[in-house]
Amino acid sequence: MDGLLNLWQATGIANFTLPALIMMAVGCGLLYLAIAKGFEPLLLVPIGFGAILTNIPVAGLADPGGLLYYVYYIGIDSGVFPLLIFMGVGAMTDFSALIANPRMLFLGAAAQFGIFATLFGAIALNYVPGFEFTLKDASAIAIIGGADGPTAIFLASKLAPELLGAIAVAAYSYMALVPIIQPPIMRLLTTPEERSIAMPQLRVVSKKEKILFPLMVLSLTILFLPSATPLVGMFCLGNLMRECGVVDRLSNTAQNELINITTIFLGLAVGSKLAAEHFLTVETLGILLLGALAFSIGTASGVYMAKLMNRLSSNPINPLVGAAGVSAVPMAARVVNKVGLESNPHNFLLMHAMGPNVAGVLGSAVAAGILLALVG
Amino acid sequence: MDIGALLIQAASLMLTGMIGVFVFLSILILAVTNLSKLAKPDTGAPTVPTTRRQPSGGVPNAHIAAISAAITQYRTKQ
Repeated sequence: MDGLLNLWQATGIANFTLPALIMMAVGCGLLYLAIAKGFEPLLLVPIGFGAILTNIPVAGLADPGGLLYYVYYIGIDSGVFPLLIFMGVGAMTDFSALIANPRMLFLGAAAQFGIFATLFGAIALNYVPGFEFTLKDASAIAIIGGADGPTAIFLASKLAPELLGAIAVAAYSYMALVPIIQPPIMRLLTTPEERSIAMPQLRVVSKKEKILFPLMVLSLTILFLPSATPLVGMFCLGNLMRECGVVDRLSNTAQNELINITTIFLGLAVGSKLAAEHFLTVETLGILLLGALAFSIGTASGVYMAKLMNRLSSNPINPLVGAAGVSAVPMAARVVNKVGLESNPHNFLLMHAMGPNVAGVLGSAVAAGILLALVG
Repeated sequence: MDIGALLIQAASLMLTGMIGVFVFLSILILAVTNLSKLAKPDTGAPTVPTTRRQPSGGVPNAHIAAISAAITQYRTKQ
């Protein structure tokens, strides 16, 4: 009889707690969004499954000694996984559109206002009872506005590891929701005439320029913002491997096998942070709210900057391309193209939006470096 | 620390952060603009011999003139 009782005590049914069940349901919800709705499936499948594994009673997968604990400790606590992903993203990024029209970097810079405004908003949220965000917490939450998963995870792991699960889930969920969040803001802030502005064709960029570009970005980061070099450095390495043309094997590995392997473990490690006691808090609700705010402010400030540049510049600039400054490559650029086509069916803005889009990646890495330097 | 003091810190962080991002990316714009000037000779060079070689390639000049006229007409139509 004792044996049977012990066996019963070892079953999941006897050990389930309500919070753990809710978190498993959240994990299933993420799997549903990924599989049925196609929202960032590459990340949300491992994150959702990781959330389920983490909350299994008795097994203790995310406790010291468990697999997910080690994956998190080795990959995210050390900051290695987000940086490997960043190298892969660098190897996948074509900077031609930005090199051809470098002024687009201003749009990538303007969209980062979403990050810094949200930082202020997160601290202001402390007036609501139940919220106690420190400056480090607020900085880690605000980086969701950079719309860049690896950057958000990297900064959160350095500044606020206990909030990492909620921040990563918010960042990837909102990146998947870019086609729903951005268009209403873009339409609200522009007139139909502005939306149908055609932009001049971009010049051809030479191979030499493409090779020198990552080296130059790295040199400037070393000189002015060394705290951003982990992110920018790995990004530039990936991009140089892509453009130099002599290490195609390495470039292919970085943008395929390596990034895929890392993505599986990064997702699982983020999922391991979705334990009930850390996630089912009022702070998570605040983070989700602030994340949406950060995205919206970033989009709006990008559009306003593009409007300003259109007024001042001799070359016409369609204000819609400013929305692509929030990074979220290449989704934001596709959204710009789609909204542009609604106003003028012959106006393809995709290439023009890729400039601010990749500028946004650099901009959010620079913003992360600034936050690390000032708050970390 | 009280929230008011934190808010002031956050506001100053917002200001320095945005200035920092803009200054850094402005320097990058200057650098990229100069980069294109630096790398220009490389792009111009290979086109010179190809244009020079075309007439001696056995294609009559009249044909070339007709084709380029058609191309300009097509481009202006677009």
